[in-house]
Amino acid sequence: MTNLSRALSRAAVGAVALVCTLTACSPVAEQAAPGEKPSQSQDSFGTPANADEVKQGGKLTVALSAEPDRLDPSLSRSLYSRYVFQAMCEKLYDVDEKAQVVPQLATALPTVAADGKTVTIPVRQGVKFADGTDFNAAAVKTTLERHLTLPESARKSEIGPIDTVDAPDPQTVLIHLKTPFAPLLGALADRAGMIMSPAALQKLGTNFASAPVCVGPFKFSKRVPQSSIDVVRDPNYYAADKVHLDAISWRILTDASIRAANLRSGDAEVADSVSTQDVDSLRKESSLTVLRSQSLGYQGITINVGNADGIGKPTRQIDTPIAKNKQVRQAFEYAIDRKALVNAVFNGIAAPACGPISPASAFSSEEAQQCREHDPAKAKQLLEQAGVKTPYTVTMLASNTPDTLRLAQALQSMVKDAGFDIKINPVEYSSLLDEQDRGNFEILQLGWSGRIDPDANITNFVGTGGSQNVAGSSNPALDAVLDQARQATSVDERKKLYGQAVTLLHDDNPLVYLYRQANLTAFSNKVKGVQVFPDGVIRAAFAGFAK
Amino acid sequence: MARYLLTRAWHSALTLVLASVVVFIGIRALPGDPALALAGEDRSPAALAAIRAEYGLDRPVTVQFGHFVERAVRGDFGSSIRTGIPVSDMIRTALPVTVELSVLAILIAALLGIGAGVVAAVRRGRPAEWAANALALIGLSVPHFWLGLLAILYLSVATGLFPASGFVPLLEDPVGNLHHVILPAVILGTGLAAIIMRQTRSAMLDSLSADYVRTAKAKGLSPRAVIGRHALRNSLIVVVTIVGLQLGGLISGAVVTESIFGLPGFGKMTIDAVFQRDYPVIQAVVLLTATAYIVINFLVDLLYSLIDPRIRVAGEVA
Amino acid sequence: MTVVTVPMVESPAGLTRRTRVFRRLRRNPLAIISFVVLLVAVLAAVLAPWIAPHSVEETDFGSIFASPGTPGHLLGTDDLGRDVLSRIIFGVRASLEVGLLAVFTALVVGVPLGLAAGYFRAVDAVIGRFTDLLLAFPFLILAVGLAAIRGASLGNAAVAIGIAQIPGVIRVIRSDTLRLKSLDFVAAAVVDGASDLWVLTRHILPNATSVILVQATVTLPVAILGEAVLSFLGLGIQPPSPSLGTMLATAQQFAAKAPWAATFPGVAIMILALAFNVFGDALRDALDPKGDR
Repeated sequence: MTNLSRALSRAAVGAVALVCTLTACSPVAEQAAPGEKPSQSQDSFGTPANADEVKQGGKLTVALSAEPDRLDPSLSRSLYSRYVFQAMCEKLYDVDEKAQVVPQLATALPTVAADGKTVTIPVRQGVKFADGTDFNAAAVKTTLERHLTLPESARKSEIGPIDTVDAPDPQTVLIHLKTPFAPLLGALADRAGMIMSPAALQKLGTNFASAPVCVGPFKFSKRVPQSSIDVVRDPNYYAADKVHLDAISWRILTDASIRAANLRSGDAEVADSVSTQDVDSLRKESSLTVLRSQSLGYQGITINVGNADGIGKPTRQIDTPIAKNKQVRQAFEYAIDRKALVNAVFNGIAAPACGPISPASAFSSEEAQQCREHDPAKAKQLLEQAGVKTPYTVTMLASNTPDTLRLAQALQSMVKDAGFDIKINPVEYSSLLDEQDRGNFEILQLGWSGRIDPDANITNFVGTGGSQNVAGSSNPALDAVLDQARQATSVDERKKLYGQAVTLLHDDNPLVYLYRQANLTAFSNKVKGVQVFPDGVIRAAFAGFAK
Repeated sequence: MARYLLTRAWHSALTLVLASVVVFIGIRALPGDPALALAGEDRSPAALAAIRAEYGLDRPVTVQFGHFVERAVRGDFGSSIRTGIPVSDMIRTALPVTVELSVLAILIAALLGIGAGVVAAVRRGRPAEWAANALALIGLSVPHFWLGLLAILYLSVATGLFPASGFVPLLEDPVGNLHHVILPAVILGTGLAAIIMRQTRSAMLDSLSADYVRTAKAKGLSPRAVIGRHALRNSLIVVVTIVGLQLGGLISGAVVTESIFGLPGFGKMTIDAVFQRDYPVIQAVVLLTATAYIVINFLVDLLYSLIDPRIRVAGEVA
Repeated sequence: MTVVTVPMVESPAGLTRRTRVFRRLRRNPLAIISFVVLLVAVLAAVLAPWIAPHSVEETDFGSIFASPGTPGHLLGTDDLGRDVLSRIIFGVRASLEVGLLAVFTALVVGVPLGLAAGYFRAVDAVIGRFTDLLLAFPFLILAVGLAAIRGASLGNAAVAIGIAQIPGVIRVIRSDTLRLKSLDFVAAAVVDGASDLWVLTRHILPNATSVILVQATVTLPVAILGEAVLSFLGLGIQPPSPSLGTMLATAQQFAAKAPWAATFPGVAIMILALAFNVFGDALRDALDPKGDR
């Protein structure tokens, strides 16, 4: 079973079953808790536009909650760039609504050699970039090599083990890996898989973002800093007949209530990141539809156990009860009522999370979803066993955004009963990043937006020496399991290994997972075919205005 | 006069240099690393080092400063660390928004403020004065971002009379532009209107009791003519002074107003840049505001001497 | 102390200036109303822990956004089920603290600099540059900077607001010093051989008190509004302690759902600032020598 594609298609069956528990397929499982609004805790991804119900033409305006950074697939680090890329930079692979990887510019899933170190990717023929240049294996090679060699590349860590890339013929890409690397496929379904026009790269170099050229239904038109990004229909696109809109304009509107207002007034047809507080009223409006997809990432509390000298330095045990004693960390988790937290702060819309792997992921398992449920008595007992005098004061670093502060305050009042006294230290985001990397905190509220491959959601954060292991945690047993999972090629095997990893992680508890955000996207019913998949990216390229 | 101008120029240059140095060193002393802010979620030590190298952030501050000055003199402020867009482009799109907003706010404030101020002074002791005073006091006391929220809530969302937010460039669609900017401008202008009203009133009261006005009245000039002429002059001085003094306040106010109404202006650009430690943008912003402050105050002084030649002497002493 | 009384001339009626000022204030109904409002605010702030019906940190996830008039919650509850009235009482306390600390900062730095600038021609230019720098420097950058270095807190917000008010204080004190310096009694003291420090602290400063007092009352409402703006940007008080500004910033998100949560704190800020402004006006009028005519 070394064929990755076969392994994946098998996993797909399992994933469909899982997705079903989250959607209408099995409503019984969802409607257990009384008082809960079932419609809100279910995912809805939208449906593609039916060609005979939409008209040709029109400009779609999307209200975007944050400004994308550089529109350069090698350099982009902001998640919001992906929204724009979705319309103008196709990838080797895409993600479907079941969080499955499907071919896009590739024609099939990759085949992996027996040693796991050579990956073959067949790519489309007769495809042209927006500037008319031919798309072929050589262009893929150029792009991947740029990801690897550009000094400020943000992709390097995602496709790290790639040794060399070959293009033996125009339709075949051969990737040689230094070590087997299962997460590669997930990376190629994100920005690393976006192929740039070699001609444009030649001309613009690191300035590619000023006029990005890829293969896509739309091509870059103009960008007004902190205001808008516009793309127009690309006649060179290989499936141009499936594109209905003339243009898409992303308008940056950072305030959620303002995005909602624009949607209501008709100034925008689509809005991302709708506030959980606005959902109820937006849902009630018959002219609007709200889509919900659960994030593949998580939000949680990181406990600083060994990050004494800053990230990148060897870890050193920190001398506080919560850092030294895993019982105290476990007690902290017992003190948290995730469901109440999510209901109070997010109107019941986010999903409680106990581990790094989303139940929507193909790699989820029973072990991965195990949870330490709310039990204040147990928390008190553990604190007593650990010999900690209550109330035990811990300082929590949190960013100063209203949502985070609400979460922090709700948490603060929640854990009080169990004997924890949280002091909130709000800092603005830049300072927060600085402090966390320096190890200047006791506990910290922060999250991760999530990737398709679980490795990208775990290893960097809790693996020894991980670039984002701000907890400074180190567990050789966990490292070994994560390493195995990274190199294993069968989904079943990886699934089992990640289950073990989560169990180990729960025991040590350097990171208390709290909840998964829901990506809420609202759009006007004047538009058909707006979709949001589990990667959170709005897909509007094939949408159209209703006839 | 020449000597005055020279001293003035020297002082201005000094202020500019001081402001640049303070901000340059200041922002680098702040915790928070632009490389980290930029790296976002995908950050590894190697990537951070690469970002720092790309923007020269790994070099000594003195070298960086030299580089900055050298380029700033040529009008080149570098590129935003976050978006890679040249800072001059960002300013070119953001500044007109804020300038328009501020000019409109000042116009509205001047109109309301002078009107109410004159009425209050002339109708001393009558209900009109009382009402004008009360309005001014409320204008001074109301948090204007709160007023903005209420306006969005009750004027935009509820009635749909105004767009809740957003912006259309003036040149693309002048009517749509005004439609978008008028509400924020009124909100931004309230505080200013109150200040102008109060100053106008007291200036008017002073001059109404001044000897030359009494003389004018004694000479048989109609009260209306006396008020008209002197009111105008006094009010102009008041507005000009306040605009000069309140420039900083206007920009701070614009930050909040722009955030609430989603206007892609200079204020919003500033606060975003500060939060993201986008050094090149912050540097350019401070240099630009300082320059604007200096130029406007210089113009104010010039205007003073045009409006009322007696003032220049005082200006020279200071 | 004998010299000090020189300018404190007895009025024809034989009353001291202070008595006259008080009498004039007492005769102004607006002054009395605003004073009473301020007194109530100060009392509420001081006695907050005892008079607030609920703890400000006590959340109740069962009664989120209870509407005003709900038994036990006169002004309703907020997004975490906390009592709005209690939080406003503590918020007023925070606002007053910020106001006083900001004014204190502005005066402590601004008054000596203003005195020096008005009195010594030599330092006038230097202080002038300093004032220019402060005025030319965007205040928000300063505020964010302070918050970044020392963490977001009430104290830092107050200091940032105070710093922004320094130029105004310097200007007012400087011009008053210039005026006083030209008066006969100061000249006389200088001729008598009094040291500069003596003249400044014994002659000029006491006579500038009324100007300083008026400046303080003018600055207070500005500081209270400033706190609201900084809190709105997330640079204010450390949660869960409430300030009127943070309450507004949070409530803004829920404005459509719970308008009261966004209305009451705003009204509280307005009343507080209004009272200071009205009282400041009355005080200025009462202190105005022109009123003696």
